[in-house]
Amino acid sequence: MSALLRILGLPALFLSKVPGLGSVIRALSTSVGQKLLMATSGLSLVDFLIVHLGGNLQLYAGEEVFNAYAAKLHSLGPLLAIAEIGLFSMFALHIGLAVSTAAMNSTARASSYAMKQTKQGLFVLPSGGASNWMMVTGLLIFVFLVSHILDMKLKKGFGVSYPPAAADAGDATNAFQNVKAVLQHPPHAILYFVCLIALGIHLSHGIRSALQTFGLNHKNWNFILRWTGFLLAWAIAGGFISVVAWALAVKN
Amino acid sequence: MSSDTLNLTLRVWRQAGPDKPGGFCDYQLEGVSTHMSFLEMLDVLNEKLIAAGDEPVAFDHDCREGICGMCSLMINGQAHGPDRGTTTCQLHMRRFASGETITIEPWRASPFPVVRDLVVNRSAFDRIIQSGGFVSVNTGNAPDGNCIPVPGHRQEIAMDAAACIGCGACVAACKNASAMLFVSAKVSQLSILPQGQPERAGRVLNMVAQMDKEGFGSCTNTSECEAACPAEISVSHIARLNREYMKALIFADR
Ligand code: HEM
Ligand code: FES
Repeated sequence: MSALLRILGLPALFLSKVPGLGSVIRALSTSVGQKLLMATSGLSLVDFLIVHLGGNLQLYAGEEVFNAYAAKLHSLGPLLAIAEIGLFSMFALHIGLAVSTAAMNSTARASSYAMKQTKQGLFVLPSGGASNWMMVTGLLIFVFLVSHILDMKLKKGFGVSYPPAAADAGDATNAFQNVKAVLQHPPHAILYFVCLIALGIHLSHGIRSALQTFGLNHKNWNFILRWTGFLLAWAIAGGFISVVAWALAVKN
Repeated sequence: MSSDTLNLTLRVWRQAGPDKPGGFCDYQLEGVSTHMSFLEMLDVLNEKLIAAGDEPVAFDHDCREGICGMCSLMINGQAHGPDRGTTTCQLHMRRFASGETITIEPWRASPFPVVRDLVVNRSAFDRIIQSGGFVSVNTGNAPDGNCIPVPGHRQEIAMDAAACIGCGACVAACKNASAMLFVSAKVSQLSILPQGQPERAGRVLNMVAQMDKEGFGSCTNTSECEAACPAEISVSHIARLNREYMKALIFADR
């Protein structure tokens, strides 16, 4: 654990040596600082998901509209590349800090209780609320992410037969048909479905947790904040799941 | 009619010293009065053990009225037992049923090493307080009580935070052994009042740094601490600590 923590701490150690950055990096390396960065990266990923879902829902408008949207996105060229680099660094930061804070936590509770119970209310999930499932659901999201990039970006999804690209289309393959090819492959549909449920669980704690990490907790607002977090989480997950269901329902 | 005495099986963690191996020992205790407190029940157990020539079970306690925070016991997997807003010393045996097995363990957290049996060393909390949980006051004549105006509702929030008795139940109950509820109560209590302003930014930075140095876990906003806290400290104080930390990080003139 301590070796792992030291390795994960290397970027922070390096950055803290940059003149003028030292004190800020040190303050962001504490447990509270790391949670602030986790919340920032987590909410940026949520922003990305909302935009991405907005794009995906255009599938419902039909092949032409969706492919036009895909073409427009690709025409952004270097802007898209910059956005992708930003996105991947948010993922790297978020996952790195998840591992680092989890290592901190398991060192702090080195020996566990023979018996553990809670005074908190009823939970839908076994062993407590979504907050106890962040690592598991996070890992599933990671599995999803890897598969998703193989499937949709690199078009190398295991066992998927993609429609042949039109000879003159260059790399602008038929995005609409590709999505359908991936999602109509039963193992992929199952994987996507399971991982998207995991996403809903992860965000149903994550969004509210991030707001608390940013200090948003006030008795007048807590009801609204809690429900906003919960509903936004399942609106995002549900939106993506609806795409999987749609692909299975439409003919050819 | 419910009977006034209980027959219990106690599963107690026994450990001879900090670096000695520990394990559970089972004890049968008959005729426990339901009017006893949990600690009185342990006193009875110890008298029985001493009479039999065995080592008594070491456990911490002092005030026995819920204000000192010494009676730190994990009872059936719950910090201070099954009731909300209650310390172990305020827990009564009528809460249990005859024939029940009660599992009793010490707080488990690396920064709280076991001293013996059920006693843990909570000096880590003292060092966190030393790092910033104070105000510096020049002595002299006692100032007039109301010469520093503090709005009533601010006093109430500060008092709610100051209700923390430093027992460590938050750490014990948290799946991450995080001390955020304790530290946030101490930061809140002083940051709300005018007397706490001069040291405000340094306080939160230093106390968080010391908390990490002691080896407590990080907060995942699970709120298990709030449910377990005998003084019913709210996690809204953790949000306040986070705000204080961000403010200190961005605006502190130090
Ligand atoms: C790639 C895999 C991922 C892993 C391993 C992971 C893991 C974690 C862990 C362990 C936590 C801390 C749990 C807590 O504070 O209770 C967390 C928090 C969070 N996650 Fe993730 N996560 C992943 C992906 C994502 C994605 C894709 C999003 C958003 C779309 C996201 C959004 C959040 C948010 C908003 C938080 C709360 C931040 C805080 O207050 O600490 N995570 N994640
Ligand atoms: S003995 Fe003092 S709080 Fe229980």
